[in-house]
Amino acid sequence: MAWGGDEERRSEEEQDEELDETDYKTQKDAVLFAIDVSNSMLEPPPASSEKRADRDTAVKAALKCAYQIMQQRIIAQPKDMMGILLFGTERSKFRDEPGSRSSTGYPHCYLLTDLDVPAAEDVKKLKELVEEDGEDLEEILVPSTEPALMSNVLFCANQVFTTNAANFGSRRLFIITDDDSPHGSDKTAKSSAAVRAKDLYDLGVVIELFPISRGGKKFDVSKFYDDIIYRDPASEAGASDEVKASKSGDGLTLLNSLISNINSKQTPKRAYFSNLGFELAPGLTISVNGYMPLHRQTPARTCYVWLDGETAQLAQSETSKIDESARTVEKSETRKAYKFGGEYIYFNPEEASELKKMGGKGLRIIGFKPRSMLPMWASVKKSTFIFPSEQDYVGSTRVFSALWQKLLKDKKMGLAWFIARENANPLLVAVLPSQNPDDTHFLPAGLWLFPLPFADDVRSVDLDGGPRSSDDLTDGMREVVKLLQLPKGFYNPAKYPNPSLQWHYRIVQAMALEEDIPEHPEDATIPKYRQMDKRVGEYLGGWKAELAVKAKGLMHSKALKRELDADDERPAKRPKAATATKTPSGSMNNAQLKIAIEQDTLKKLTVAELKEILASKGISTTGKKADLLEKLEQWVEENV
Amino acid sequence: MADKEATVYIIDVGETMADCHNGRMESDLDFSMRYVWDKISTTVAAGRKTWTVGVIGTGTDETNNPPHDEGLAGYGNISILQEITAISMASVRELRNKIRPSSTSGGDAISAIVVASNMIELFTKKLKYKRRIFLVTNADFPVDDSEESLDDVATRLNELGIELVVIGVDFDDPDYGYKEEDKPQIKAHNEATLQNLVSKCNNAVYGTMAQAVEELSIPRIKSVRPFKAYDGDLTLGDAEKYENALSIHVERYFKTKRAAPPSGSMVVNRSEFGGPSQLTQDDDVEMGGTGLSAVQQMRNYKVNDPDAPGGKRDVEFSDLAKGYQYGRTVVPFSESDFPIIKLETKKQFTIVGFVPFSSYDPFLNMGEVGIVAAQRQNDESELALSALIRALHELESFAVARYVQKDGAQPQLFLLKPNPGIEDPFECLYDVPLPFAEDVRTYQFPPLDKVLTLTGHILTEHRLLPTADLNKAMSDYVDAMDLSKLGADDEGNPTEYAPIDESYNPIIHRLNQAIRARAVHPDEPIGPPAGILLRFSKPPEKLLDDAKSEIRALIDAAEVKKVPAKAKGKRSKKDTVKPLSGLDIDALLGQGRRTTISKENAIPEFKQALATASDDSTIESAVKQMGEIIKKLIQESFADLQYARAAENLRVMREELINLEMPALYNKFLTSLKSSILSGALDGDRREMWFKHIIGGRLSLITSDESDVSGVMAEVVTEFAK
Repeated sequence: MAWGGDEERRSEEEQDEELDETDYKTQKDAVLFAIDVSNSMLEPPPASSEKRADRDTAVKAALKCAYQIMQQRIIAQPKDMMGILLFGTERSKFRDEPGSRSSTGYPHCYLLTDLDVPAAEDVKKLKELVEEDGEDLEEILVPSTEPALMSNVLFCANQVFTTNAANFGSRRLFIITDDDSPHGSDKTAKSSAAVRAKDLYDLGVVIELFPISRGGKKFDVSKFYDDIIYRDPASEAGASDEVKASKSGDGLTLLNSLISNINSKQTPKRAYFSNLGFELAPGLTISVNGYMPLHRQTPARTCYVWLDGETAQLAQSETSKIDESARTVEKSETRKAYKFGGEYIYFNPEEASELKKMGGKGLRIIGFKPRSMLPMWASVKKSTFIFPSEQDYVGSTRVFSALWQKLLKDKKMGLAWFIARENANPLLVAVLPSQNPDDTHFLPAGLWLFPLPFADDVRSVDLDGGPRSSDDLTDGMREVVKLLQLPKGFYNPAKYPNPSLQWHYRIVQAMALEEDIPEHPEDATIPKYRQMDKRVGEYLGGWKAELAVKAKGLMHSKALKRELDADDERPAKRPKAATATKTPSGSMNNAQLKIAIEQDTLKKLTVAELKEILASKGISTTGKKADLLEKLEQWVEENV
Repeated sequence: MADKEATVYIIDVGETMADCHNGRMESDLDFSMRYVWDKISTTVAAGRKTWTVGVIGTGTDETNNPPHDEGLAGYGNISILQEITAISMASVRELRNKIRPSSTSGGDAISAIVVASNMIELFTKKLKYKRRIFLVTNADFPVDDSEESLDDVATRLNELGIELVVIGVDFDDPDYGYKEEDKPQIKAHNEATLQNLVSKCNNAVYGTMAQAVEELSIPRIKSVRPFKAYDGDLTLGDAEKYENALSIHVERYFKTKRAAPPSGSMVVNRSEFGGPSQLTQDDDVEMGGTGLSAVQQMRNYKVNDPDAPGGKRDVEFSDLAKGYQYGRTVVPFSESDFPIIKLETKKQFTIVGFVPFSSYDPFLNMGEVGIVAAQRQNDESELALSALIRALHELESFAVARYVQKDGAQPQLFLLKPNPGIEDPFECLYDVPLPFAEDVRTYQFPPLDKVLTLTGHILTEHRLLPTADLNKAMSDYVDAMDLSKLGADDEGNPTEYAPIDESYNPIIHRLNQAIRARAVHPDEPIGPPAGILLRFSKPPEKLLDDAKSEIRALIDAAEVKKVPAKAKGKRSKKDTVKPLSGLDIDALLGQGRRTTISKENAIPEFKQALATASDDSTIESAVKQMGEIIKKLIQESFADLQYARAAENLRVMREELINLEMPALYNKFLTSLKSSILSGALDGDRREMWFKHIIGGRLSLITSDESDVSGVMAEVVTEFAK
């Protein structure tokens, strides 16, 4: 496949950490938007008095969409490229560099943003275009009298990809247009477009069509685009890949419709592993591909900048391994060493790799359990999604489907031994089915490898059973729970952008574009306090009063019990001189602690006793006695 | 745990310990030391100064102990091999030399226990310690068996709070199910004496060595003290603004936390010690690590500079500022700018809303789990949290909450799951982190239960869909492979097979076992992983046996066929690619068939020329043209600008020629390209192209592994890459 050398390269980088996302990212993605600028694309939508009605022309909506996706990609795919090509414009523009074909080579093609990792200026320029209706835009967005030749558009895209993203694993051309028949019955023009489309296919560029339909007119792909679009024979068998037309209406603006269509194809489908053997039973193996639909995005790390040049420039770092005397060390000279009893215990490279071997890569079913046997606390890291592939084993899909259906139907899960790739650490995983997507389930249907914790990963937390709620308190709380359901009754991640991440990029963007720093972050994770109060406030107030009464009663009966106990035990206890500080210290309660601090008797405790108290509060017990005292006092101050 | 420990090992090294018994191939001493070394090396590995160890030998040729020095009788042939101290690798090496079978049979084990308890008493004084004595022996030498002295010793141990562990070689142990046949009478008597002593102690264990050694392979899990991550309010509503908001004082601990394998570091032989040859098979000395030093990372920084040779030049680290990247723009940040970029947050744990169980799938979990309980001894909070937990449980609902661990920390969203304390003695909430909008990638996949055709029809019968037979076979198989009652508890009742508390992280324990083994026996090769670590890598044999017929039926119904390795990814010439409409592009090209290849559109034209080539000379000509283009791209490249493009052309050439089974053409071209690049014939220093893009990009010679008709062996390629 056309994934390039990057995929192969990964085995060389034998890092100590589990191979995970880092190498998975090496498959870079380049997307070129090709937006049709025609009279109909520039036609304003019919006037409407509705508040949420469309005000954008199709071109404007497409540009806004590209703007939004550009910002999104800077956060989510910082190494990936994007470009914007307008076609059907009166003016033509390619690159100004010498040596490349001059603009006359592609008449009525206007390369608005060259294909590259977006820079701050690209974002700024696009922003001005979509927000300010500036003169620039007026000049550019003039449709030509004669339409652009699609063969030219496609070849122009070809050149953009060939020069700028030569070895990218994923290259895609997004065509946004409302014209299903750009060349009518002009056979020659259609043929040369088809030939250029084949070139793109051979180059490894995938064409995705985002048609815009309006006024109930259907976008008929068979008129022209069926000659242009190819399906990768290696893509999932049975893939529907239907082309969805974007349109305005049903309370949805054209922009939203377009964004949702493009977003669904925006992230290139990168496999975490391909054609892994999945051994269902001895003698029955199928092949599966693995994906990571979930991945925690974090802000990019800081980088080093060189400021002495004309413009700020990223300093690229190269690392080399050296020994004490600053001599460069070859990998073959090194050994893996482990600190043990203050010294190094070492293994030579062959032994070190031998130690990591736990059988080859693969996924093997050990057996099945009812789903209910998965403890609710059994989670350590995100799951991997698997989907069948017919590449190595013909029939994989139907067997996979049968397993999926069985697990769903009988609420079962598989238990499997999983090694994602050579040298990866083995995991025990629960194999869980996801249902067909519906209103509340947005993830694709398939199987998930849910990593189970090992015994080593489980902390034992000793809790004692405190008093339990009474039925009327519980019933009261039930009402609250019922009243405060999330919209549509499910957790929809799309509604909750990561506030820290958004803020980070908001600031970096503002500094890069020399904009004002925004004052208040947008944070969708903050609960809707006012609504909550309106809905349950009064009720909750009543409930709290009842709670206070119950708690008081409880305290009373406890005190009574303590008194009785104390009476019983009195003879065995020490004389009065032993005050609160001398009670078995681990069980010293907060009130006693407070008294001890006030009376300054805490320091009479031994180190061992102090440690016991600290440990019971979950505070670290390291340090000298003075440190321990300080820690404890601080804790009491903050918590009692 | 962080408690202090004082442990004394009493090791019988009498001459009979050198013998092998009961069919074992190793001496009693070696057998016993497997246990002792494992114990000691575990202590060394922990690296705690407060875990102290002493060692006493009985049956030693010499005598060295205070009671003997004081002239007391009965303490002969007992030597303190190591006083109680924090143990290091150096002491391990020393001990390894000292613990050798003697040529004496003597040394009273009971006296040794007295010596050991004296050592412990002296060392630990009245401080808080965990005190233990281990005695390993084959009990071949008479011991002081008077009831009186046993009582004395036991009383002393009890007074001092010392735990006594007696592990004997081939001791009878009905619990474990071992009985030595033809046991010498003296040994039987000694066993009875030791057992008598153990029974008199408050805290003592008596066992047989075989069991102890067997249990060594069971991984020991490092226990971690629960860490309190949060201590504060869990709120419903904004308690600062609305008086009716609810605040529950809670504490949050980690429930799961991924344990990491010991982290190794890269070391290298010290250069002044000469080459590696000096430090190979000699024992002991290099264990000191003297010949090794840590490998350090050195970073060099470069920036683009059109005037510099190669287009890049080095810059000093001190000349660099810190910054962030926004796309390809770098944004310098001054020290004072940094705080702005961090979202200001306040410590908080607050409920956002509730969702039904059914709407949530566990594979949405993003990571480790926490446990939330009410503050201890806080009646109001305990009651309130209990009410919330029960209400959630009864309504089958989860809560979604916003969590900020401390002021300034990043907000997270948690799913709170109720544990109503039915199986556990306590009620609590478990929390799992949820994904944010940015964390979800929308990938589309076709449905698994139907096939959509290009024309929009829905098929329910298709080769990609299971037949009724296959569905039935799968269902029977899954039911037959049930693990839920395959395990057994202590009473032999059926329980779940492979529960979490029996599954150990194979990498961690394999590494730990290997490190400990290497520390004690530096010259021995690393052994295979312990069986217990791979126990769950395969289905249990018994289950497979029972499910034989279901497996057979499933394989038959599945009709899965392996694709022969050769056929993979290959297209025959006849099988041309067509667009959705099925239009024949080759026919369109017709007479204008491409035979010349342009630099601009090289890859498509090259592929098309090969696809329609009818003879070898056309192929050769296409390869020749492509080769010229590649060289030209490199030659004309300003710095590395066109390297990626040249490499891509080369990659396509390589792939196509493997498919056409003409690897020799590629290998010939690459050899000539190598000499052009390395001789500097392509306008300057193009070595980066060679090493980074061609060798690093795996575009080297095509080997016989990749193409049968290639005569190039993998070794040749290694040499070629240099």
